[in-house]
Amino acid sequence: MFTAVRLRLSHKFWSRGGHRALSLFSSSEPSNWSKVVSDAEKIVGYPTSFMSLRCLLSDELSNVAMHVRKLVGTQHPLLNTARGFVYDSRNNLQMRGLIVLLLSKAAGPSHTASDLLAQDMVSGIYPSQRNLAEITELIHTAFLVHRGIVDLKEWTISDGPLKDMQFGNKMAVLSGDFLLANACTGLAQLNNTKVVELISSAIGDLVQGIYYENSSNAEENSLTDGVNIAAWEEQTFLSHGALLAKSCQAAMELAKHDKESQRLAYKYGKHLSLGHKLNSDLQPFVKSSMGEPSSFSLSAAPVVFHRQIVGQERWHQQLQQATTLRKQLDYSKLLAAVKSEKGVSSAVDLCCYHGNKALEAIQAFPSSEARSALENIASAITKF
Amino acid sequence: MATPWWSVCRRWSTNCTSPSLIETLWHFNCRAVSYSAAHLGQTSRSSRPGNEVQPSSSAQTIPNTLTCTSFLFRHKSRLLYSRPQSCCCRKIHSDAKPKDPFTLAQRDLTSLYDDIKKELFVSKELKSLCDYYFDGKGKAIRPMIVVLMARALNIHSNRAGDLLPGQRAIAMISEMIHTASLVHDDVIDGSDKRRGKRTINEVWGERKAILAGDFILSAASMALARIGNNTVVKVLSQVIEDLVRGEFMQLGSKENENERFKHYLEKTFKKTASLIANSCKAVSILVNSDPEVHEIAFQYGKNVGIAFQLVDDVLDFTSGASQMGKPTAADLKLGLATGPVLFACQQFPELHAMIMRRFSSKGDVDRAWQYVLQSDGVQQTTYLAQRYCQEAIRQLSMLRPSAERDALIRLTEMVLTRDK
Repeated sequence: MFTAVRLRLSHKFWSRGGHRALSLFSSSEPSNWSKVVSDAEKIVGYPTSFMSLRCLLSDELSNVAMHVRKLVGTQHPLLNTARGFVYDSRNNLQMRGLIVLLLSKAAGPSHTASDLLAQDMVSGIYPSQRNLAEITELIHTAFLVHRGIVDLKEWTISDGPLKDMQFGNKMAVLSGDFLLANACTGLAQLNNTKVVELISSAIGDLVQGIYYENSSNAEENSLTDGVNIAAWEEQTFLSHGALLAKSCQAAMELAKHDKESQRLAYKYGKHLSLGHKLNSDLQPFVKSSMGEPSSFSLSAAPVVFHRQIVGQERWHQQLQQATTLRKQLDYSKLLAAVKSEKGVSSAVDLCCYHGNKALEAIQAFPSSEARSALENIASAITKF
Repeated sequence: MATPWWSVCRRWSTNCTSPSLIETLWHFNCRAVSYSAAHLGQTSRSSRPGNEVQPSSSAQTIPNTLTCTSFLFRHKSRLLYSRPQSCCCRKIHSDAKPKDPFTLAQRDLTSLYDDIKKELFVSKELKSLCDYYFDGKGKAIRPMIVVLMARALNIHSNRAGDLLPGQRAIAMISEMIHTASLVHDDVIDGSDKRRGKRTINEVWGERKAILAGDFILSAASMALARIGNNTVVKVLSQVIEDLVRGEFMQLGSKENENERFKHYLEKTFKKTASLIANSCKAVSILVNSDPEVHEIAFQYGKNVGIAFQLVDDVLDFTSGASQMGKPTAADLKLGLATGPVLFACQQFPELHAMIMRRFSSKGDVDRAWQYVLQSDGVQQTTYLAQRYCQEAIRQLSMLRPSAERDALIRLTEMVLTRDK
C-alpha cells in the first residue's frame, strides 16, 4: 500500500515539473548528486520513510491539506513548504534519513548487546535505526513548517488579507506540532533514554539556530553586523548540522556501538552538514548562469567571508553602491563585488575542508558498500 | 487508554435523547455515590478498571432517583466534601480538616520556577521568551497535583512521603509542557493577553513565539529523558501527542448532537486532562509497580482534569472579564462550542446552526450567549463537573489515607467552587 502511495506522490511531484521551493541542491549539479543519492538508496533497502508517510496520510494532516487549499493564491510560506513535502522528498527531506541509514549499515551489527538480534536486521539495519531515520526526517520537516510562521504585525495590507495569514499560521503551527509530537512518541518507542535526550537536545539546537537565523536576517536591514566566519559556522551547525550529527550518533547508540564509533558518526554528520550548507550557499556564486542572477542571503558563507576580508567600512560602501533608487538591492552588482575578492574561494576551501573531515571520520568504519556511498556523498558536496 | 470515560459517552450516545441526557447523568451521579459508599467498607481494592461504567441495568435499578437528585441540588457543594470525610473518619480526627492543597504542596514547589529556568539552557533573547511565563505568578496547579499525588502514592507504597528526584522532575516537566502548549495556543487563537500580561506573540511576534514553545518542549523532553525510565518517557510523550490531537479536534465540529458531546469530552480529555492524568501516572510508575495503582493515579488526574476544564468552560460564561484575565465568552468568539452551549442547544435548537457555522455570522456570539444564560446549560455543565469530581474522589479513596491524599480530595471541591 505504501509503495502505491509513494508512486502516486512521486507521480504528483514529477508532474509539477521544475517547481523547486526548498531544494538546496540546485539544478547545476543534478546528474552527479542524483546518481550518488539514488545509488545510496538502493543500498539501504527501502529508503522511504514510513513514519513520515503515516503522518502525511493521517486524518490530521489530510485535514490540514484540505485547509491549505484555501491558501492557494496567498503568500503564506506554508504553501511552498507543503509543495516541498512532495517535490523535495527526494533531495532533502529524505537526505538526512538516508545518511542515518547508511551509517547504521556501515557500522554493522552490534557486538555487545544481546537483546539486539541480527535476524531482525533488514538490509543490515536494525528496525530501531530505521525508526530513528524517520524521526530525524519528521523533526526536520516540522521545522521547515515552523520556520514559515509569519509575523502578523509585519504584514501590511498590500501583502494580502491578514485573515489568510492568520489562517496559514494556524495551519503551520498545528501541522508542525503534529509532526513534532509524532517524533516525540516515536522517540519514546525506541526505549533508549540516552537517544531521547540526544535527539531532544538536537531539537533545542535547531530551535536556537533557526531563532537567530531569523534575527540575523533582520539585522541585514539595520546593517549592524559583526558576523565572522567562526560565528557563521557555530550558527550553521545549530540550524543545519546538529540534528544530523546527533542522529548519526544516536544510530550508533541504538546498536550499542562504542563511544568512539558514536564520536565518528557525530563527526561525519556534522562536517557533512556544514559542507552541504556551504555548497548550497556557494551555488549563486559558482553558477555560470545566463540572465538574472538569483538573489542570495547576505549571511551566505561567501558573503560573510567577503565582509571579513574587505572590512565593515568597504562592505557598507559596496552595499550602498548596490542599492537602487527604490531601495532595492541590485544582486548582480553585489555578486560581482563579492566575486572580485577572495570570499568565494575561501568558502570553497572551507567546503572542501568539511567534506574531507567527513571523509576522514568515515574511514574508521570497515570498508563496505554503505561506506563507499557515504564517501561518495561527502565527495559530492565538494564538487561545483 | 481513554476508554473509561468513552464508555460514559457511548452510553449517552446510545441512551440519550435530549431530555434524558442530564437524567442519565443524575443516574450516574447517584450510582457513583451509592457505589463508593458501599465500596468504602471493603478492604480489597476494586480490580475493575477505574471508571468502567456499571452496566446500565444497575444504574436503572438505583432506587429513589428523585431523592438523590434533589440531594445533589441542595447540597451540591457539601456533598463532595462530606463524603470523603465520612470515609476517612476512622483514620482522621473528625475535627482535623484536610489541609489546603496549595499550602501542603508549597514545600515541594518553592524552587519550581528556578528549576525550570535552569532547564531552559539558552542565552540572549530566546532566554527571555522562554522564561516569560515562569515568573512565579502562575497557579502551578499541575505541579501541585503531581507533588501531592506523588507523596500520597509514596505513603501508599509504604515509603516515606518525600519525593523521589524523578517525581520532582515530573512536576516540573508537567508545568513546562503546559506552558509550551499555552504559547502555541495563543498564536493559534491570536490571543494578546494571558494572566494579565501581553502574550509572547504579542510582544515578540508569532514566529519567535512558536520557536520559544518548541524550545521549552525540547527542554522538557530532555529533562524527561534524564529521569531514565522508558515507561515514564512513553507516558509523557503520549501527552504531547494528545495535546496536538486535541487542538486538531477543536478545528472540526460534529453535525450530530451526541457525536458532538462525545467529541467535546474527548477533546477536553486530550487538551487538558491527559497532561494531569499521565503526569500522575508517571509519578506512580516511579514508586509502585502495581498497574492498579497506576490506574488510580491516572483516573484521578483524568477526572479532575476534565472537571477542571468543564468549570473553566462555565466560567467563560459566568465570570467577568477582569477575573479570568481574558475577555469572557472567549470560546464563543473563537467559534468553540463548549459544554454550556452544547447543553443549551437541547433547549434551544436554534443554536445548532450557529454551532455549525462556529458563531461566525454577525450577532451569533451575543445571541448564543443569551441562549446559554437562559438555558440551564451552565448548571448542567457544573453537574457534569461534579460527577467527574466524585469519580476522582472515588478513585483516590482507594489509596491509603494521608494528608496529601485528603488535600487532593479537597482540591476537587476547590476545582468546583473556584470563580476564576
